[in-house]
Amino acid sequence: MASGPGRNRRLESAVSILLLVVLFLIALAVLIKQADVDMTRFGLGAAAQPDSQKAPDLAALASGHPGGTPDAFKELSPPLVYTAGNLYEKINGKAPLYLDAGFLKLFTQRFVSRTDENLWMELYLYDMAGLKNAFSVYSVQKRADVETLSTMQFAYKTTNALYFVHGRYYVELLGSAESADLLEAMKNVADSITAGLKVDEEARIPELDLFPTDNLVSGSFKLSLKDTFGFADLTDTFTCRYELNGQSVTAFISTRSHPKNAQKIAVTYSDFLIENDAKPKSTADETIKKAAAKVFDFYDTTEIVFFLGPYVGGVHEAEDQKTAEEVAVMLINRLTDLTKTPKQ
Amino acid sequence: MTEQNNIGLPRRQFLSRAAKAGISITAAGAISYALYDSEGPTPGVSAEDLVTLPDFSIPPEEGRTISIVTGSDRIKTVGRAIELLGGLCRFVKKGQTVAIKPNVAFASPPMLGATANPDLVAEVVRLCYAAGARQVLVTDNPINDPASCFMLSGIAKAATAAGAKVILPRDSLFKHTTLAGGKLIRNWPVYFGPFSKADRLIGISPIKHHHRSGASMTMKNWYGLLGGRRNVFHQDINTIIAELAMMVKPTLVILDGADVMMTNGPTGGSVSDLKRKNTLIVSTDMVAADSLGCSLLDLKPSDLPYLAKAHQAGAGTTDYESLKPKRAAIS
Repeated sequence: MASGPGRNRRLESAVSILLLVVLFLIALAVLIKQADVDMTRFGLGAAAQPDSQKAPDLAALASGHPGGTPDAFKELSPPLVYTAGNLYEKINGKAPLYLDAGFLKLFTQRFVSRTDENLWMELYLYDMAGLKNAFSVYSVQKRADVETLSTMQFAYKTTNALYFVHGRYYVELLGSAESADLLEAMKNVADSITAGLKVDEEARIPELDLFPTDNLVSGSFKLSLKDTFGFADLTDTFTCRYELNGQSVTAFISTRSHPKNAQKIAVTYSDFLIENDAKPKSTADETIKKAAAKVFDFYDTTEIVFFLGPYVGGVHEAEDQKTAEEVAVMLINRLTDLTKTPKQ
Repeated sequence: MTEQNNIGLPRRQFLSRAAKAGISITAAGAISYALYDSEGPTPGVSAEDLVTLPDFSIPPEEGRTISIVTGSDRIKTVGRAIELLGGLCRFVKKGQTVAIKPNVAFASPPMLGATANPDLVAEVVRLCYAAGARQVLVTDNPINDPASCFMLSGIAKAATAAGAKVILPRDSLFKHTTLAGGKLIRNWPVYFGPFSKADRLIGISPIKHHHRSGASMTMKNWYGLLGGRRNVFHQDINTIIAELAMMVKPTLVILDGADVMMTNGPTGGSVSDLKRKNTLIVSTDMVAADSLGCSLLDLKPSDLPYLAKAHQAGAGTTDYESLKPKRAAIS
């Protein structure tokens, strides 16, 4: 065997092993990439199919006991699971709303009345990965003039449907008819889901506590993840309504990572308003002045924008300046108190 | 005596190793060459196998292009609206096969307005037969499971009861097409089978808010003709809707604004998403129909970029008033 004086067998072995590992990793990467290729981009192959193998037992979940279905109902269709890759197969053009909000999976199943085939409901259980995400899709789709359900923090019903947030899940129960029996069954299903589907009970949305509670319209909170009021940089913005002086006024707060970022957003949003024909207005209110808030006339409505610590806040499209300023002062005072309060 | 180089490797062993390495490289190269596909994945089919949807339109008649009828009863409003354009006999001749393409996108109950109204579809089927049609086909390529969509929307039952043949999509009914001048519809599978057998084509769609495109009306209804993974087109929704309007040349479109889905479209889910508008539009110009219909969603034609694109492409006009719409009200 050759074992000349210049050879270092240990070094050769190490280099060889290293090269083999590199080659193996390259081969693995190629295999993974090939497995991931989407032939349907080229019009080849079938679209993704719902994966029924991974569906939880929704019937059991809905009935509150293993292997069951809702009382007086039977399964109309099998449980199906949709992922980000095929969510559009279920809700088509509404899919981006969920995908932009952190969607992970959708579980669906239909149940039909044992006595009336025209009475059926479909359960949509969206796993949104977190309470805030689930609240966002719940809030932006919330229907007007609905009955809020007090048994849950975020829940309401219409004449044929029930909607609620349960931890990281956004749930819809949609009925085929306006039926009291169907709604009662939906409520029972909702109760079973909240009892049977374990979530972080302690999870809260702290931003909701940033808003003062006087004159606040109950259940009016919304979370807009992007393009709030048409301005691309105004992201993760909470809004709510206040009833004041016979008017409904929209207030907003967005929390940024640093006070400088809040200032930047407030300035760029003000510029955006001016670019779109908003006219700066003067104010006599001392709190507004002290906070250096900007007041604008925007096509006969009033816009107010300010920043305070890490918060960008304001009032959107108020009917008159006086009411807008009253709400803005409430926000400023509340946020001032919060920024003064030392964190526990 | 064994000759050695300066690191002590015998010449014979060096030659042996070099030969092995050479064989290995040659084998790897040969395998790569054998497996190499110089063309990559073939997008669709060859040019000679592409199909083109037939042109189902009929010659226009001034003042008889678009009609708007208000009233709560769809059966009456659609009859009157078609009558204002000259009656269905103007559009359907004796012995012809008529394809009706309702919006059956979702497995949703009729009450929610996410799909075409089944009573309206059935009435149009009856009118076609009354005009002398030999056969009426009702078909769509839904977003959800086709059988569930046709069943739960009530359209299968209503259309069948009226004498139509309901056709569910299957792979063999799709063919590839390329839209001349199209940017997106290029060598793409479209639902072709039922339409290749038809002489006339009628689209029936509800008016709906659409999260992505702003509104779903008669032009967006043709999205149901696309096969493959059509959701990729959502990235350029205005272009694809305009191209659909260029690709499909229907005989007639019927835009149902009796109950309009004002919010949370295109799926809706709650009756509270709907607003009673009691309006029905029939037109041979789908761009005009949608330009008029969007007002029921409290939108202007300029709010929907695909309307201007379709107008510019010559698929119709956004200036529907120039067509002198026929108007009527049914109490």
